[in-house]
Amino acid sequence: MDVRDVLRRPNAGASFLGTTPLGGEIAHLRAIQEADLPLLVRWMNDPDVRHWLHHSERPDATADTVRVRFGLEQQVLPNLVWMIETLERHPVGHVGLLQVDPHSKGAELAISIGETDCWSNGFGTDAIRAVLRHAFEDLGLRRINLLTDADNARGIRCYEKCGFVREGVMRERRLRYGKPLDMVVMGILKHEWEPR
Amino acid sequence: MISESIIEGVQVRLRPLEERDLPTCVVWMADREVTRWLSAIGEPPTLAEEQEWYDRRRSDPDSVMWAIETAEGRLIGNVELRLTPTAHRAEMGIVVGDKAEWSKGYGTSTVRMVLRYAFKELELNRVELTTDEENHRAIRCYEKCGFAREGLLRQHRLVDGHFGNTLVMAVLRDEWRGR
Repeated sequence: MDVRDVLRRPNAGASFLGTTPLGGEIAHLRAIQEADLPLLVRWMNDPDVRHWLHHSERPDATADTVRVRFGLEQQVLPNLVWMIETLERHPVGHVGLLQVDPHSKGAELAISIGETDCWSNGFGTDAIRAVLRHAFEDLGLRRINLLTDADNARGIRCYEKCGFVREGVMRERRLRYGKPLDMVVMGILKHEWEPR
Repeated sequence: MISESIIEGVQVRLRPLEERDLPTCVVWMADREVTRWLSAIGEPPTLAEEQEWYDRRRSDPDSVMWAIETAEGRLIGNVELRLTPTAHRAEMGIVVGDKAEWSKGYGTSTVRMVLRYAFKELELNRVELTTDEENHRAIRCYEKCGFAREGLLRQHRLVDGHFGNTLVMAVLRDEWRGR
């Protein structure tokens, strides 16, 4: 399967469709559905979660803003977004490959564990590993990048465990509660990735 | 949106991009020596596709775009700020599409004028851009205007069948003010 085949499916670009379920060791990933929107809205407006979200300065999330954010509206490049669930199918967060570019074969990773009592339990690492395997082995992508807050030590540790390399620091790239904040840009190439 | 404001400089003049400019843009986008440096995808755009691009930009409130003219009134390129208002940030994109006008300082003048507009009129805190690591002429121009190198995205872009690095650069309001 090539990423171009995925994008050619009917309704390509809408992340509700075209997203294959993925299995990790402790997490199960399935396509986001319209019914998940209220839960995503609750997570995104939880101050502890929002603290780390790139768009924390924007007004509170609503079903509409989430729909737009995940590219369910028309976009030049498509997004693939999954819900992260426990093996018992209890949703704990979401993960996405955004702006999937079939030309350069790159995409951006976005992840958030919305259930804060599930932080530091390995769901993020497991979900990212499953998504990387899918990106490199199934979709034929070559490079995944991500941006994260420079003070997000837990996130950066997780990304490094998954094989991401720091590529730069973007100074004062976003605001958190009105204060400028540096962001780290990280990337992983297919040949650096070690499947587990 | 297509900027309504006209910015007059000595060397160049920034004015709203108009529909009658689009055939010239199509000629630029068909020139491999020009698009070599852009993160352009696939085939050169047709006039109809360029019109769609123009209409998208015109209706996008987070995009500000100007045409670049020489003092004599000749269209030589365009420049855009893609805004993220909540972060007081913009990404700059510039193309001097007329190769005969390269290396004459038009790009540098344009970037300086747009930075002034971004920091003074729009009150932004940060202007960023990405470029091909091998685009030495452009990088020299950006550094002259105050941009600093922040990172290197490895094998991030596909150029003529090989993968090249993308340089991330930015200038902050305080740095710009101190110049």
